[in-house]
Amino acid sequence: MNPLSQLRRVVRESTALTKWWIWAILGAVGAWTWNLFYVPVEVAIGTGILTLVSAVLIGLVGYRLMDRSKIANVDTAPAPDVTLHDELESLLAKAAETPDPMPQVDELLHSMATEQQKRNLEGLLRRWVDVAQRYGDATLSLRKQIHAVTDQVDQAATTIANSFQAVIQKATIQARQAMELLEGTQGGATDGTPQSLKDFIRVSDERLTRMADEVVRVADLSIKMVEELDAVQKRTQAIDGFLVDVEKLADQTNLLALNADIEAARAGDQGRGFSVVAQEVRRLSKRSHEFSDRIRHHLHEVRESLNKTYGDMRNLSAADARHALKIKDEVIQLTRSLDGKNREVAQTVSSINSISREISQDVQNVVMSLQFHDITSQQLNGMLEPLDELRRTLFHLMQETLKLDRSLLEGLPGDDKWLARTRDGHRLDSEVSAVTSEAASAPVAAVAAAKQDATGTGPAVELF
Amino acid sequence: MATILTADDTATMRQMISFTLSSAGHQVMQASDGTEALALARTRKFDLVIADINMPNMDGISLVKSLRELPDYKFTPILMLTTESQAEKRQEGRSAGATGWIVKPFNPEQLLTIVKKVLG
Repeated sequence: MNPLSQLRRVVRESTALTKWWIWAILGAVGAWTWNLFYVPVEVAIGTGILTLVSAVLIGLVGYRLMDRSKIANVDTAPAPDVTLHDELESLLAKAAETPDPMPQVDELLHSMATEQQKRNLEGLLRRWVDVAQRYGDATLSLRKQIHAVTDQVDQAATTIANSFQAVIQKATIQARQAMELLEGTQGGATDGTPQSLKDFIRVSDERLTRMADEVVRVADLSIKMVEELDAVQKRTQAIDGFLVDVEKLADQTNLLALNADIEAARAGDQGRGFSVVAQEVRRLSKRSHEFSDRIRHHLHEVRESLNKTYGDMRNLSAADARHALKIKDEVIQLTRSLDGKNREVAQTVSSINSISREISQDVQNVVMSLQFHDITSQQLNGMLEPLDELRRTLFHLMQETLKLDRSLLEGLPGDDKWLARTRDGHRLDSEVSAVTSEAASAPVAAVAAAKQDATGTGPAVELF
Repeated sequence: MATILTADDTATMRQMISFTLSSAGHQVMQASDGTEALALARTRKFDLVIADINMPNMDGISLVKSLRELPDYKFTPILMLTTESQAEKRQEGRSAGATGWIVKPFNPEQLLTIVKKVLG
């Protein structure tokens, strides 16, 4: 490393720490250069020598004030040509041995360097306070948001759970009512009244069949009655014949009486008594005739009534038979349609049953899914613990910082809020503890839940 | 059917447990933490206790220990229903006197089976 490059490096290193002496040298050299244009050559040479001497002096002082260890660190590779370095070293050693040639300047420069360091530290502190403040606020708002989320999820899950329970209760009632309606009570009818559709079909079929049979029986009966009437009619005709015989007898009796009367007239007085008997006989015959007439008249009326009844009966029996057949047909049709309905009911019942099974499977799924709310909110709450830890750490670090020098932080821009809060230490502590206690147990669970994924887990259900 | 006490700080969990057990005809009473559960347990004798582990005021493990000190609950089955599933926690529950361990989320059918089993 040649002396020029070393000097350049020294200058470069120096500018990073103190720049004033470089500027002084440059100023001196600049002033001399500017001088060249206005003064004669002899004067220029003289001032040039003076400038050089003062520049070297300033350089030596400046170099001495520099952090020598830093330079030594940077200078790791040994320089092949170290004449200038050696020279500087020896000069520095001499300066250290001999009393400081310029104690006031040294002190001033030293205090300036301290001031610079203090300013750097202030800058760092400002950045640190700013970061701490922003992260402190961020954790607080994050915590609030997590709380808001868990609260909302809580409310929503509770509402869902309530509604779900209500829906299931209603569905259960509905299914039961439908089943009761369709299937009927299992006990069946004890007093003969039908309690299910099946029973109803059976009972109504029985009763309708019985009624139809009854109607058929009545129709049969009326046919028999018609036959009976027919027989009665025939018998009245026979009576009519008998009446003709009776009338014939009466006519003959009358004729005989007439003959007897004639014979009595012929016999004269002896025959007078006989004539009275003959007249009586004639009168009897006449009355017999009258009787016969009246009987015939009545018989005629009877026959007419019978004829009418006969006709009515025939009509009735025919209508009865038709009616009975019609009713029987209708009963069969009704039973058939009821049977069809019953089959539909059976199908509905089985479909209700299968829907109920599906619902119970869905219920299981919902019950399991709703529990994830508990798990996720525990996990969310678990995020609060690291956040609180961060806040606590930031707070304590801030307090430690403030213990160093509170005055350093006074008047820093943008930190009023944080500073005010850090001074009110109890308030911040209570704020942190208040939010922590809300989720006192949750973090443990969440940490455990988080661990659960990593560590080996046992069976879901276990009996000890 | 049995009378069952369930302790969990999450309302939804209590509802789901209650719903599942009620559907099987059991009578269920709910407590939101260990302290409330213990107070309820002192007022009447339950046939079974189902408790969460992580609860405010009194956790599930402490609840089991306190219940086991009561003469009425010396042999009453106590099931832990929790998100925890590691062996150490299980061991802790077992030594506190728990009868069994169910990891959340529970399957309703499985819960009913295990309840039937421990009720004998």
